[in-house]
Amino acid sequence: MGNMKIKAKVKGDTLKCKVQATHIMLPYNAAKKKGVDANFITHIVGKVGDTVVYEASTSQFLSKNPIFKFEAKAEGIKKGDKLEMTWTDLSGKTVTEAKKVKGLK
Amino acid sequence: MERRKFLGLGLAAVALVPASLSAVDFRKEKPDAFTAHNVADAIKGLYGDIKTVDGDITVKAPKIASNGGAIPVTIKSGLDLKSIAIFQDANPESAVVVFTIPATGIVNYMTKIKMQGSGEITVIAEGKDGKFYKTSQKLEVALGGCEG
Repeated sequence: MGNMKIKAKVKGDTLKCKVQATHIMLPYNAAKKKGVDANFITHIVGKVGDTVVYEASTSQFLSKNPIFKFEAKAEGIKKGDKLEMTWTDLSGKTVTEAKKVKGLK
Repeated sequence: MERRKFLGLGLAAVALVPASLSAVDFRKEKPDAFTAHNVADAIKGLYGDIKTVDGDITVKAPKIASNGGAIPVTIKSGLDLKSIAIFQDANPESAVVVFTIPATGIVNYMTKIKMQGSGEITVIAEGKDGKFYKTSQKLEVALGGCEG
């Protein structure tokens, strides 16, 4: 835990999400200077249930602790559903975290 | 006759694939795009030789970014899109991020990017109609942010 901050809320018929992943996002040239291996998130997927709501293939040029803000149609999302975010980084580490979607009655 | 059948099958298979794939990792599928050193090459690596048109797609980024380490970039569009890619020309490699737009996705995406100097952000959006929409914005970076 503590690898991601997730906020998901349904407003009207829109699902609004904000995710901050805690990651160093070290690009190649900076890693070279420090003498360590570069490491950054390469792929991130957001799911509610089995539906993919967000997907991005990312590179080294996202900021440190990158923020992803996105929207999707709230159709089919029920109370108690969770937004599940999964990211994979260059070292092969995969982290999955989930949070309940708010704003549903 | 045989050939016609075969072609038909091929088409059906192509049509089925995108629907069944839930995850497309562009880094694995199009590695060239992420190692290209200029925007044109990166676009070529990702989408091939394409012609771009102007369309209903907006990019919001600060004109002068005080901190190059975290520049908020917002993309909005009312179009029916398949994917969106962000490129810039300040860093050693051009591709920043490629979004795959899911069926339920609404294009109002924000993310923070790094740029080590002033440059231009180029956004290419791939529409479901097969067209490619392009928009770009120049911005100045006061303090470069690629040093980690």
